[in-house]
Amino acid sequence: MHGFANPKRFLSFARPLTPWLLALGLALAGGALFWGLTRVPAERLQGETVRILFLHVPAAWLGMAGWMTIAGASLAEIVWRHPLAAIAGRAAAVPGAFFTALCLVTGSLWGRPAWGTWWEWDGRLTSMLVLLFLYLGYIALSQATAREGASSRIPAIFGLFGVINVPVIHFSVTWWYSIHQPPSFSLGKSAMATAFQVPLLASTMGFTCLFAAVVLMRMRALLAETQAEARLRRRAREADGDAGQLREAGA
Amino acid sequence: MRETLDPWPFVIAAYAIGVIGTLVLVGWSWLAMRRAERRRDGAGR
Amino acid sequence: MSERGGLQPKHQRLALVVAAVVALVAAAIIATWALRSQASYFYVPSEIVKDHPAPGRAVRLGGMVEKGSILTRPDGVTIDFVVGDGTARVPVRYSGIVPDLFVEGSGVVAEGRMQANGTFIADKLLAKHDENYVPRELKEMTAAQKKLVVEETTAK
Repeated sequence: MHGFANPKRFLSFARPLTPWLLALGLALAGGALFWGLTRVPAERLQGETVRILFLHVPAAWLGMAGWMTIAGASLAEIVWRHPLAAIAGRAAAVPGAFFTALCLVTGSLWGRPAWGTWWEWDGRLTSMLVLLFLYLGYIALSQATAREGASSRIPAIFGLFGVINVPVIHFSVTWWYSIHQPPSFSLGKSAMATAFQVPLLASTMGFTCLFAAVVLMRMRALLAETQAEARLRRRAREADGDAGQLREAGA
Repeated sequence: MRETLDPWPFVIAAYAIGVIGTLVLVGWSWLAMRRAERRRDGAGR
Repeated sequence: MSERGGLQPKHQRLALVVAAVVALVAAAIIATWALRSQASYFYVPSEIVKDHPAPGRAVRLGGMVEKGSILTRPDGVTIDFVVGDGTARVPVRYSGIVPDLFVEGSGVVAEGRMQANGTFIADKLLAKHDENYVPRELKEMTAAQKKLVVEETTAK
């Protein structure tokens, strides 16, 4: 569990991994989106609107996966006091919130031509909006605690408890009658033709790589900031100590 | 009476928001990381 | 590392977190169970037929548009159709513009109210599509290709 506790060890794998994830993510997601926009056939009922699928589904997945990352980091923070956990949670929050918002926006742009409405207060849509507000709360809370020097365990508790919304989002279309259709994929079964499935898989993997790269970059930035601050504090202390000795010597 | 909406404006808007948003997120995170790491390395031993 | 007797602090914390998560999940399950009928976005025809919502009360009705049931009245904007869920059927009347995905044999959500005579008057129609994604060009495929696509896309 403490394998990556050491920031040096974390950086030794994060540094080379970042550009690879970025390149792979940009290539996969870009290729899949281009394919989705130009090569994918129109759907039997939805027609051309189906192309929004290749943005909407990865965004929904990463919105939820982002909170699972926060929850995992929060668990590591609370139970094992893992030194990098707070940084990992904070780093996942902004990309998670971005993809949740993207899911809501693309969903709205899809809902208007497909369902005939931009927004409905339905179980799936509402629980996804709740997720966005949870992200905004977590971002505000973690930034405030970091700035005030308060314990990072406060946002961690929030991150752990907020995870309950993730299964609610997932099962909202099964538990309640919803305007949103049930998932197209279940264990071993698919209700989606290969022509849609393959670019969807590529785009989901691509955006996941980009998400991971963004989390790594934000972790590196937060780590560098804390290291720089610690160094400044140490130097200030040393300078203070020197000044004190000089004063004593002069007295 | 059918609505007969043109789907393309919706598709194009979704793709534009998605692609631009993702690039901004990636670029911003990259610049923030570079700036923070440079400041740390510049802060000396 | 190991402390004889008593739990290690991190195991104590783990037990605490597990207990908290279990309590939270239980609370959420109870809450969603209690919300089961309230949080549903619409009623299906069998619920409408069984519970008879008061005429004039705003409700949503959701189900499948029965095949061959859509009839356009002479004014050109009023349509009659039947929404079914396999057990019950509710006749619906609607005047206005219909979403493009509103077709027979597909899902629909109608906002409106029941009339005393058992007809549902809709103010707004929303199309609800299912989880199947099938290319439109299916018609232009060879029989073998079609069979393959149908096989891999039938969920149930």
